Amino acid sequence: MGPIPASAGIGLRSAHHDALLAERPAIGFIEAHTENYFHDGGAAMRALLRARANYPLSLHGVGLGLGSAEGVDRDHLARVKRAMRRFEPALVSEHACWGHAGGEHFNDLLPLPYTDEAARLLARHVSEAQDFLGTQLLIENVSAYVSFEHSTLTEWEFLVAVVGESGCALLLDVNNVYVNAQNLGLDAEAFITGLPPASVREIHVAGHARNGAVLIDSHGSKVCEPVWELYRRAIARFGALPTLVEWDNDIPPLGELVAEAQRADRILEEVHGLAA
Amino acid sequence: MASLRELQRSFAAALRDPAVACAVLPPANLAVYRNNASITFRETLERTFPVVHRRVGEDYFRQLAAHYRQRFPSRHGDLHWVGRDFATFLHEHLAGTDYAWLADLAQLEWLRTESAVAAELRPIGAEALASIAPEALERLKFGLQPSVRLFSSPFPVFSVWEANQAEIAPPVDQSMGPEAGMTLQRRGFPEVRKLDAAAVSFLSSLQSGFTLGDAVSSAGLDGQALTRLLAMLFAEELVGSLGE
Repeated sequence: MGPIPASAGIGLRSAHHDALLAERPAIGFIEAHTENYFHDGGAAMRALLRARANYPLSLHGVGLGLGSAEGVDRDHLARVKRAMRRFEPALVSEHACWGHAGGEHFNDLLPLPYTDEAARLLARHVSEAQDFLGTQLLIENVSAYVSFEHSTLTEWEFLVAVVGESGCALLLDVNNVYVNAQNLGLDAEAFITGLPPASVREIHVAGHARNGAVLIDSHGSKVCEPVWELYRRAIARFGALPTLVEWDNDIPPLGELVAEAQRADRILEEVHGLAA
Repeated sequence: MASLRELQRSFAAALRDPAVACAVLPPANLAVYRNNASITFRETLERTFPVVHRRVGEDYFRQLAAHYRQRFPSRHGDLHWVGRDFATFLHEHLAGTDYAWLADLAQLEWLRTESAVAAELRPIGAEALASIAPEALERLKFGLQPSVRLFSSPFPVFSVWEANQAEIAPPVDQSMGPEAGMTLQRRGFPEVRKLDAAAVSFLSSLQSGFTLGDAVSSAGLDGQALTRLLAMLFAEELVGSLGE
């Protein structure tokens, strides 16, 4: 399958492996968490190979922690490359985050301070990964529950600096922008208008949950109306883009997930008049 | 101003210990990350060791997971490896107690996950033996599927594992004594088989590259046992290569 069209896709979860093959829903692409397909064999590898025959693929990494000051795990990077050779993704993405320090991995998307130092370090690691993998990476903005006293840049200024220094593109997660606006007082509108139109190549939308005063990027429910509204503004600025509906917890039946993807397609069509 | 490296070290220290401060706002929200890390770790362990989890119950499993994480924190950005040292940890943690068998149960479950993600070779059928001269049979070397993991325990952990696949698991009498067997992958999915000690010895010799003749004599198999084991190997599609 070829490049990823400017339409909506869904995340590939093991709960949907069989249904996806049987029902063959009309979705634009599938996105898989790269680390789930590092193995030599087994059911998950088989399922992705089969799904891959029907849909273009995006490989979305969650484990490299490219903003970790202690460096890039070359072994992990080599496994990403092996997965790329095996599954031939049209897009490869990771996050603007860090994940390990002192030899311990927290297996989470930990937030970076928005400083020149952190932007340069992330850009250097992104460049290192791009050179090794032989492809441009899409780097996703993460949701954050804390901000750093050290930050001297806005989040979008930070991302623009990373794009400028590394030549990567961005995967704009509009739910994360919304969550950060709610949790940390980020200006969502300024975020969208602060990114150069050509820098964004893919969009994520997802549901979140509320835990007391904090919104948690839980990927366990429908996309809420304000996030759809932000999505509409984003595609008006960044153009018609591949759009992924993420739903990783409390996973619904495939049909419900596909219905969310169809909603993204309808908005794409309303704004740009060209969705599938 | 702290360097990024120092800042990440202090953030990491604050994730390990709530009493450690880190320059973030609001400080209370560090708990979100602290909980995420511990829940991700524990849930990964639960998925990898469902029978250990079931036998010890939720509360004790949480305690074990917390102790295990202190002793063997995650060393990879890939969660697959989180459970690799759990059996070693349980072995140390439970040595000399009535629960020492849990370490071997954990080892069996870890081997099962290794089988689950191993490569698959195109299986060779029993008919391949027909083309081999009878006098060459004993010089044959059997390459088993990469998913085959052999295991022997002084405890009846294969019976425990099997009993706990049912909705209502009867208790297993620990005086049943030692057991052996293997984990393997069939059509992409992991399976567990209890075998007798001679069978495990035979398969282990084949895995080490012994000829069929040497593996048979080393395991002390008679003709009937050999026929039965070869039939099992081919029926389970475990023969990946045949050669001299």
